[in-house]
Amino acid sequence: MIDLSFYLGFAFSLYAIGIYCLATKRNMIRLILGIEILVNAANLTFITFSAYAVPGFIDPLAHSIVIVSIGLGGSVGAVALTIIVYAYKHYGTLDITELRRLKG
Amino acid sequence: MTALFILPLDVLVLFTVLTPFVGWLALRIKRKFLIGLFAAVGLLLSGAALYNMYADVSAGSPVLSATPSLFSSFFRVDMLSFIMAAVFIGLGLAATVYSIGYMEKDTGLPLYYTLLLAMIAGLVGVAFAGDLFTLYVFWELMSVSSFVLVAFRKETWEPIEAGLKYLVMSAAASATLLFGLGLLYGLTGTLNFEALASSPPTANVWLFIASIFILVGFGVKAAIVPLHTWLPDAHSAAPTPISALLSGIVIETGVYALLRTFFTAFLSIQTQWFGILAVLSILTMTVGNLMALLQTDVKRLLAYSSIAQVGYMLVGLAVGTQAGLSVGLPSALPAGAETALTGAILHIINHALMKGVAFMCAGAIILRLESRNLGDMAGIARKMPITATLFAVSLFALVGMPPLNGFISELTLFTSAVQANVGWLGVAILLNSIISAGYYLRVLRTLIQPSMSEAVSKAKEAPAVILIPVGLMVVLIVLFGIYPQPVLKLAQQAAQELLRIRGS
Repeated sequence: MIDLSFYLGFAFSLYAIGIYCLATKRNMIRLILGIEILVNAANLTFITFSAYAVPGFIDPLAHSIVIVSIGLGGSVGAVALTIIVYAYKHYGTLDITELRRLKG
Repeated sequence: MTALFILPLDVLVLFTVLTPFVGWLALRIKRKFLIGLFAAVGLLLSGAALYNMYADVSAGSPVLSATPSLFSSFFRVDMLSFIMAAVFIGLGLAATVYSIGYMEKDTGLPLYYTLLLAMIAGLVGVAFAGDLFTLYVFWELMSVSSFVLVAFRKETWEPIEAGLKYLVMSAAASATLLFGLGLLYGLTGTLNFEALASSPPTANVWLFIASIFILVGFGVKAAIVPLHTWLPDAHSAAPTPISALLSGIVIETGVYALLRTFFTAFLSIQTQWFGILAVLSILTMTVGNLMALLQTDVKRLLAYSSIAQVGYMLVGLAVGTQAGLSVGLPSALPAGAETALTGAILHIINHALMKGVAFMCAGAIILRLESRNLGDMAGIARKMPITATLFAVSLFALVGMPPLNGFISELTLFTSAVQANVGWLGVAILLNSIISAGYYLRVLRTLIQPSMSEAVSKAKEAPAVILIPVGLMVVLIVLFGIYPQPVLKLAQQAAQELLRIRGS
């Protein structure tokens, strides 16, 4: 059985990749992909812990949580893409740095 | 018939699903106001169902969801959940009635009211949730519908840009929250509030990491300062009723969720968090107030002042965290913990009222002038006397003037800080109230200025459908200020239940 720390290390690095993607990418679609990576990192922790909490037993609770969470991630992605379509219509570009008319 | 979730929530979900059909019919017979009326009826019925639960909840034992419900989701309604749900449904009802007047000229109204009801359903679900994952699911329902509502007027660039910014920050925060929940689940094997509270995980580095992720996740929605940048944009770009809801209740949901998690899962590391939360609260209120001083757009000003008000609530949370593992042992509770939580809960109720009225009055003026610039509103009090009076009452309450409700909750928070021997937090509240008077009174002075522009002199009083909900809320502001005992008692009971959760 592979050690828990490998899975956790992988989940944390996925999380770091997602944050890196959000911080550096300029394309709006890539930002959404970054968010999806973050959600997947979270899902992976649930799945990992479901198998490791009690030896020889896989907790079905975490799996149902992950299935619901995948659905939620999909709906967020759909709403995000809809807003991006309108942003594209207004600005004619997918570059997020062009959308800096609002001051923080 | 088995229930879907729990009755007040079922009613909201049912009306959410029915609104598009009713909206389509109402548009066919060209009676737009019927859609808003239908949504308002849904909220009223849900409020009635909630009121029916009052007797059980006030008896002191939390109401759990019926076991054979369709989705088998777990709900636990105690006094705190009840208060939050009542605030959500109440302000939601006011905003819905207000929308009938405010959104008259917009298209896509069936969609608007559907999303409004979905957002309220999400908020009520967050308040009722009995475990952290149920909370997360309803949290997402609330978030997703609020993204679309912020970007609702898609014809102009500002709502789209603000909506996108809000979405990216909020969705990243939700994922962070879920990651933290995953770690917490790994540490404890459960996400149920009662189970987490009765055997809190031992303090170790993983619990700290989980709590940082969860704090960031909730903190973005609660607009704690380094994470607040989306708020002024989103709150000023949204249609005004939505701004009132976002500022009045959505950001409070973040504070509510922090209260819940800190007083269940993080009991064993609470005392270590005190310093960080205290610094964050001072930072939040100071930055919010100072930035509000600089604004010329009235909605941005109110949005920044919401950040400052969240800072006051965080003081309550910070002082409350000194309780630590003595939660559940009434004799060992440190002084001020109960008062602090009472103050935080009271301020959540009061801020929903005050900020709701302030945004709605500003919205009524914007509706007549079609400008959000404070300078353009000079002298409007002479043309819209009722709106200006209501606006003035809410601004005085936000400053913390004595006979109004804002004073009561700020005083409670101040008292708790002094009782707990952290008077500097109380002084921070006082100083910030003084700074905040600077911009609230500036708004007031602009409203009553004698000179007026041509646009102002043509303005007329807001329609009754806008004034009635706002007027009723102002009555509550004054009532809770003059006679605070009933609501204070409810908040106190909620605080006690939060501090007793380990025993139940």
